[in-house]
Amino acid sequence: MSIKKRRKAPEMKEGRKNTMLDDILTRRKKDFAPGVHTELRAQVNKTRGVSFLSGSLTTNVRSEVSGVSARVYKNGVYGFSSAAEYDADAVAAVLAAATENALFMDKRAGRGTPALLPVDAGQTVREITDSDPVQKDYIDFAGALDAYMEKNCPGLSGRGVSIRADSMEKLLCVSQGHDAHVILPRCYVYLRMTADTSGGNPVELFVPVGGHGTFDTVFSDPALLYPKVDELYEKLMQKREGVYPQAGEKTCILSGELTGMLAHEAVGHTVEADLVLGGSVAAHSLGKTVASPLVTMVDYAHTCLGAPAPLPIYVDDEGTPAKDVVLIQDGVLTGYMNSRQTAQHFDMEPCGNARAYLFSDEPLIRMRNTAIVPGTSKLEDMIASVEDGYYFIDTNNGQADTTGEFMFGVCMGYEIKNGKLGRALLDTTISGVAFEMLKTVDMVGDTISWSSSGFCGKKQPMPVGLGGPAIRCKITVGGR
Amino acid sequence: MIALDQITQDIIERLRGAGADKAYCTAATSVTREFNVDGGQFSLMRTLFDNSLSLTGIVGGKKGSVGINKFDDAAVSQAVADCMASANSAEADAAWDLAPEGGTRTFTQGVLEADEDRLFDRTAELMEQISKRFPKILVEQMIVSHVRSHSVYRNTNGAFYTKDAGYYNVDLMFSGHDGEAASSFFGTGAITDSLDHPFMELGSIERDLADVEKQIYTKSVGEKFTGVLLLPPGCLGSFLGDIADNFASDGPVLEGTSIWRDRLGEQVADRRITISFAPGAKEIVCGQSYTGEGFLAEDFDFIREGKLESFLVSLYVSNKTGVPRAKNSGGSMIMRPGDRSLQEIIASIDKGILVGRFSGGQPGTNGDFSGVAKNSFLIENGKITDAVSETMISGNLADMLQNVVAISRETVADGYTVLPWAAFGGITVSGK
Repeated sequence: MSIKKRRKAPEMKEGRKNTMLDDILTRRKKDFAPGVHTELRAQVNKTRGVSFLSGSLTTNVRSEVSGVSARVYKNGVYGFSSAAEYDADAVAAVLAAATENALFMDKRAGRGTPALLPVDAGQTVREITDSDPVQKDYIDFAGALDAYMEKNCPGLSGRGVSIRADSMEKLLCVSQGHDAHVILPRCYVYLRMTADTSGGNPVELFVPVGGHGTFDTVFSDPALLYPKVDELYEKLMQKREGVYPQAGEKTCILSGELTGMLAHEAVGHTVEADLVLGGSVAAHSLGKTVASPLVTMVDYAHTCLGAPAPLPIYVDDEGTPAKDVVLIQDGVLTGYMNSRQTAQHFDMEPCGNARAYLFSDEPLIRMRNTAIVPGTSKLEDMIASVEDGYYFIDTNNGQADTTGEFMFGVCMGYEIKNGKLGRALLDTTISGVAFEMLKTVDMVGDTISWSSSGFCGKKQPMPVGLGGPAIRCKITVGGR
Repeated sequence: MIALDQITQDIIERLRGAGADKAYCTAATSVTREFNVDGGQFSLMRTLFDNSLSLTGIVGGKKGSVGINKFDDAAVSQAVADCMASANSAEADAAWDLAPEGGTRTFTQGVLEADEDRLFDRTAELMEQISKRFPKILVEQMIVSHVRSHSVYRNTNGAFYTKDAGYYNVDLMFSGHDGEAASSFFGTGAITDSLDHPFMELGSIERDLADVEKQIYTKSVGEKFTGVLLLPPGCLGSFLGDIADNFASDGPVLEGTSIWRDRLGEQVADRRITISFAPGAKEIVCGQSYTGEGFLAEDFDFIREGKLESFLVSLYVSNKTGVPRAKNSGGSMIMRPGDRSLQEIIASIDKGILVGRFSGGQPGTNGDFSGVAKNSFLIENGKITDAVSETMISGNLADMLQNVVAISRETVADGYTVLPWAAFGGITVSGK
């Protein structure tokens, strides 16, 4: 789904070249307190946003948040401090405060656990071109899409075009592990349309388009997105004539987008080691069969099936070089995603899952690019195999429990009758329990679809990639 | 302390100098002190020193905004330049405006100085009480903090507001466990300006812990039925928030997709329903003092005795659509209690479901919702019976407000909201 990177268009205005973070951290390693593990991180988060709502420019904003933080580990507990300034005084202040906090915690609640085990040491530098287009470029691009929508999509009761570009640049120094300088930019255009059914009820569809990179590397010409507008409009016109699905358990085909949501929400969170320690269902499932033998699921670090993952991560914010984590292998739960601390607890290898969103955030265990691995089935054969069921295509939200119980909103889909697609569907929900539902998977498609436009919410937001192939399974449909 | 009054004055002058005919900015500093518990154990202490600076310039109806977290001259100069470049690139829209008159006001709210040792002790006390009284509860994460902020707002119409605020906050996520059996996770919390009371006594923390401990073993609801939905204050707040977003907020009012678009002053709910947004209420901790457009925040009724009294729209959407603006930016929701006890309400329900948490997506524009009832109990023949799992509920938000069964006289105040229990008829409940 993501738009491939394109050459910069000649009509684009020249934006600012980003100023990279100067390294004033490395020389402060000598100030790290002895007998503790210290991480020192400077970070810049940038966001550029533009929104047209039914023709009105309602959002036109640029933001930039930066600063420095330190985290110190001692005897099983951490101290952390951050400051919005980025100079020698701020670095010294956060190092002192984080160390003081670690000592306070050790005194009041220390666990007496041993020092963190070492990880591979070295340096990771991933500097990619990180240009910063002027705001007019975003406004003109979104405005052109809005104008196209207004002209070519009659009968809409509402329309929206938004662009959001965000990036995070990190400079990391650690007592032990990989020091790093990395940037993770992404940019998405969000298209939204609303129309009324013949009964006067509004129905809505929405699609994000974009991916890894800055605005000017991901997008060049709004006309290249007009087919996406047309496709969304066609689907909406089908949906306004749609029907509610019948409630109950049905044999269904889930698109790759929905499979990705399932992988992330219903399985991925339960195998984050901090949630395992917090009592998730996966605490009792390691080594057990949790899915059909056709199901293998991986949290990819930076490369997937020989291609760059949607949001590549090369090193995490604890200085651990990033590697893939195989979570489910041929239906058996084989691993958790870890920080250095939880990896030690579970006697597993840390693979670079500890990530922080802002300079003022501590690293948490997060997914990177989590996907069910493609199989061998063709989508048309999968649809043809269903006598009476549904093909669920797009989702507008998903939530899951630490028990693995999940609920996804489905905003686009079709009936399947005797192996053929039928009428479009109105909004519905699907639900189930992940480790039960995955055992019903009996066909896995041969093509992976990725999405990376949203934020995963935990204590902090985080950009993540999620993906998968179409799967055939039995699932509970909410109906109306 | 950084002289935010001077910084904001300087920014307003620079924006004017760069051509803005209207402008506003907010500068703030904050200090956060925070303790974290993970997997039932203390894990982290944080001290955060942060700044924020947001500025907006409007030139000939064209608006641009910038947010940064620096106050040095180079950063401010760049922000002013970016703000004006953004504004000059925008399309003119006469609806962008500010409060017509300002004035100088100073606000002080809550507890400004953190008592870090006592905060740790209260946190440890809550952990100990949970361990003793609710032994099957595992705290996945608890975050306890004190946040102090100092902020200054200025605009070109003469508003100059200074605010100092401080509060304690406790949030916890937990689930019940018995061997390999587990409940769904649940989140609760409160905001307070005092450490005089144990955290267990705040909001609905104690009741929520007790309820979740009873949700480890669940049953299916069996046959699909239409019955009564009883919502405790926390979940009621989520539903009312969706109602406000769907039918009365900027987006649907501006686009005209709100089904209440032309119903101001009309009956949209049962006469027992009165909902206010009241940042000035005594139960609210550190409520809003002024809006970004420069208006002083005032309490107002959203729905009074079933009538739609106000939309929740900004000055911009008000100017675009002609509907009056809201007198604050939302939040601090208060619902008038009813005249029946919670026990009386439960006793009156033949068949229904008490839903502690609703796991569903954003309801449709028309108010249709469906999703999973989490942390929920079946109500049968006037009694709460089994905890349930894999149970879907569906209905329509607008219809719910017309189908009120009862509202409790008990309320829960958690510093953010003051809400009762409320029961609504006509909800579809279905098991797997």
